[in-house]
Amino acid sequence: MSDTDFQAGPVAMPVRAGSFKTLMRSFRRAPAALLALIVLSIILLVALSAPFLAPQNPYDLLQLDIMDGLLPPGSEALGRDLVYMLGTDGQGRDMLSAIMYGLRISLFVGIVSAITAALIGATIGLIAAYTGGRTESLIMRIVDLQLSFPSILVALMILAFLGKGVANVVLALVIVEWATYARTARGSALVETRREYIEAAVCLGVPTWRVLLRHLLPNSLSPLIVIGTVQIARAIALEATLSFLGLGVPVTEPSLGLLISNGYQYMLSGQYWMSFYPGIALLITIVAINMVGDHLRETFNPRGQA
Amino acid sequence: MTGHVSLRAEAGPLLAVRNLTTSFQQDGLWTPVLRDISFDIGRSETVAVVGESGSGKSVTAMSIMQLLPRSTSRIEGQILFEGNDLLALPDAEMRKIRGNRIAMIFQESSLNPVYTVGFHMVETLRRHRGFSAAQARKEAVRLLDRVRIPSAASRLDDYAHQFSGGMRQRVMIAIALACKPRLLIADEPTTALDVTIQAQILELIKELQDQDDMSVMFITHDMGVVAEISDRTVVMYHGNAVEEGPTSQIFSSPQAPYTRALLAAVPRLGSMRGLQDPLRFPVVSKKTGLAEPVPASVPTVDPAAKPILEVRNLVTRFDIKGGTFGGLTGRVHAVENVSFDLRPGETLSLVGESGCGKSTTGRSIMRLTQPSSGQIIVEGTEMSALNRNGLRQMRKQVQMIFQDPVASLNARMTIGEAITEPFLAHRMGTRSQARDKAADLLERVGLRADMLNRLPHEFSGGQRQRISLARALILDPKLIVADESVSALDVSVKAQVVNLLLELQERLGLSYLFISHDMAVVERVSHRVAVMYLGEIVEIGPRDRVFSDPQHPYTKKLISAVPISDPERRNIRNGLSNDEIKSPIRPINFVPPQRDYAEVSPGHLVMKDAAVSVGPIKRTRP
Repeated sequence: MSDTDFQAGPVAMPVRAGSFKTLMRSFRRAPAALLALIVLSIILLVALSAPFLAPQNPYDLLQLDIMDGLLPPGSEALGRDLVYMLGTDGQGRDMLSAIMYGLRISLFVGIVSAITAALIGATIGLIAAYTGGRTESLIMRIVDLQLSFPSILVALMILAFLGKGVANVVLALVIVEWATYARTARGSALVETRREYIEAAVCLGVPTWRVLLRHLLPNSLSPLIVIGTVQIARAIALEATLSFLGLGVPVTEPSLGLLISNGYQYMLSGQYWMSFYPGIALLITIVAINMVGDHLRETFNPRGQA
Repeated sequence: MTGHVSLRAEAGPLLAVRNLTTSFQQDGLWTPVLRDISFDIGRSETVAVVGESGSGKSVTAMSIMQLLPRSTSRIEGQILFEGNDLLALPDAEMRKIRGNRIAMIFQESSLNPVYTVGFHMVETLRRHRGFSAAQARKEAVRLLDRVRIPSAASRLDDYAHQFSGGMRQRVMIAIALACKPRLLIADEPTTALDVTIQAQILELIKELQDQDDMSVMFITHDMGVVAEISDRTVVMYHGNAVEEGPTSQIFSSPQAPYTRALLAAVPRLGSMRGLQDPLRFPVVSKKTGLAEPVPASVPTVDPAAKPILEVRNLVTRFDIKGGTFGGLTGRVHAVENVSFDLRPGETLSLVGESGCGKSTTGRSIMRLTQPSSGQIIVEGTEMSALNRNGLRQMRKQVQMIFQDPVASLNARMTIGEAITEPFLAHRMGTRSQARDKAADLLERVGLRADMLNRLPHEFSGGQRQRISLARALILDPKLIVADESVSALDVSVKAQVVNLLLELQERLGLSYLFISHDMAVVERVSHRVAVMYLGEIVEIGPRDRVFSDPQHPYTKKLISAVPISDPERRNIRNGLSNDEIKSPIRPINFVPPQRDYAEVSPGHLVMKDAAVSVGPIKRTRP
């Protein structure tokens, strides 16, 4: 056997967009996206380590002093060595700490619901793309139906039925969002299903579940990761809306949305900080996630399709 | 022609490329992709630039046209066009030359799908030649007439998708000719076309060149096309022009080792006359130019053996749905009443042009496509009678190798995982047994066992096709369906993979169903050949009989359309035909005619009733 076709050596192929290194390099070329990534990392870090970073535990009633209520930002606590950087609410709760804890709830709800919805939606989408025919038509009509309802309306109806609670909000968000993932997963899997390596796997007698999990899924993942990021931001915003409307998380576990809602009644009397700062935190979080998501989309999808 | 001879003598070459060095910037480093290239293109001369992928032939054309991005490429040397150095020209001047004096056509048509063909042409004519709308339209019709597009005037308002591939390429040529260029650069213009259509386009370019006194720079990877069209040839290899000279000289006495290696790897139609068994390609070292002896062919077929594959009356049709309510509007009769046998150790080739059903036949055998009716019997077991599990077991016996070496491997799996996966899926042994076997197979297909942990993108196209072969072999199949498996490979790599296939056949007694449009490769590898046309086999028989004594008009036409690697025949004009490849789409109520086959010699069957119109036969082989 001659070895002449080794002379050329491995062909310099463009590295697949999935590689982590390329991704990091692409961030270095886009300063705005890099900034967003850094901000997002800080937000995540703060949310994770809130119990250690926060000046007080806003839900430990022993640490609250009703006398400190409604203090503007920068006030000092009565008889304690504590500065309320962002002011306090009606119960004398430090807003900075409340925001840190609120971020935890908001991010938890957003990320958990997005990941669950992605898993369910992607599975359904892949099955639709791979089986085709009637099953596909049926699944995709359900997806269309789901997507034709305004998501806030569906979520409101579900929560009105199930009642408040973090788990219920997550469930409502999953029900609202799975269809987007299903549609995206089907679209990208449909392209991959027609590729020869899938047919090769079928010819080689690889069982269907393996074809789906080992071949189809990893290769259809890039667009899912992209919409996943954007959907987290969407989920956070939706949760905030629901909580603002009073149908979201309970008062014992307030998210940013609930904080905004609580502070809202004081807005007109000039005590803006109770709504304003949680709002700013929500805004920064969502913008950062969206910018990172947009950048991922550009990197993974050079043609700029959604 | 005589009038131009004096012209050619009095002025220098139309285009003189001197010491052209083009570098690309990659990760901050300038890497030369062309090194010190020099060649001339004389007036009304055709120069072929030939080489394998990555040899720099297209970059040469892009450098001449200055179509490379300024920021990441650097062109040094001189490109003298009619005496002016193009590299020294300001952008505005260069724009006037591009399209006007030098025109270019590409492999794919670059027509904007939302505009009519006429719009493209009229726009070009008005902008570059200052015609009025009416004048431009008249000229456009004249140009379409010149490239032999039937009823040109009425087709002017059609869109690109309403033309076939060959017709689109004609339109591109017409647009290129609109400004009466002095030089036409054709970058692989016929590579995507079927062989009979390719023959038409080559003929057309030759004819137009004679009429217009135009020079042509023809970029191709196909030595047959080179011989067919060019006066002189530049052979490129890894960014160097390794040899330049008159085409006949390049073919008769190649000097550079690489040219010799390339020519040795080019299959030549007719070179197998009188031989019964497939023959390996001679292997010539690209460094020394010396040939290794070709091992003699070993007979692998036992004529008395029972067939491993029997296909009986196979029919595969696809429904075409349309109309407001998605009703059935017609059917593609992709495969129509196809029957053949394949014995152990035998290679049967299915040949034909695009849409003839050869791939669908292969896919129906693999059950990647559900056949409409007919029997597929593998080792005495009827496939359609099998349940899911039985089918999976049967798939161990029959394997398939695909065309695209990039797409047929999962980019996210190491090749070790890819090769062992089917072994494990069929529970044929433990993980370590699978790895041992995979390592062994990798060596067998000419790779190294330590490559198991690499990812597919680290391999070249030829190597990937070897990996696909190793993956298919891990199930110990008896039959391999090779669907255009070597078509996407470069000539020398193609020769190596064909040699590997033949070697494996000798060692393992494999049977191949070799599906290809490439007549020359088919002649090399097969024991028997079946020619397909519009879903039916029109002729089947021993390879030597079919190639040396083709009976059916379509077989004759197909064989005569193959470009011949013999420059001596270049000046023979074969006349232009306009035949298009027909489509097997039929109305719902279509009843396929009953076919009879005549046995012209033992095992050589030809469809009777030549009422199938295949168009006139344009050329005959001497």
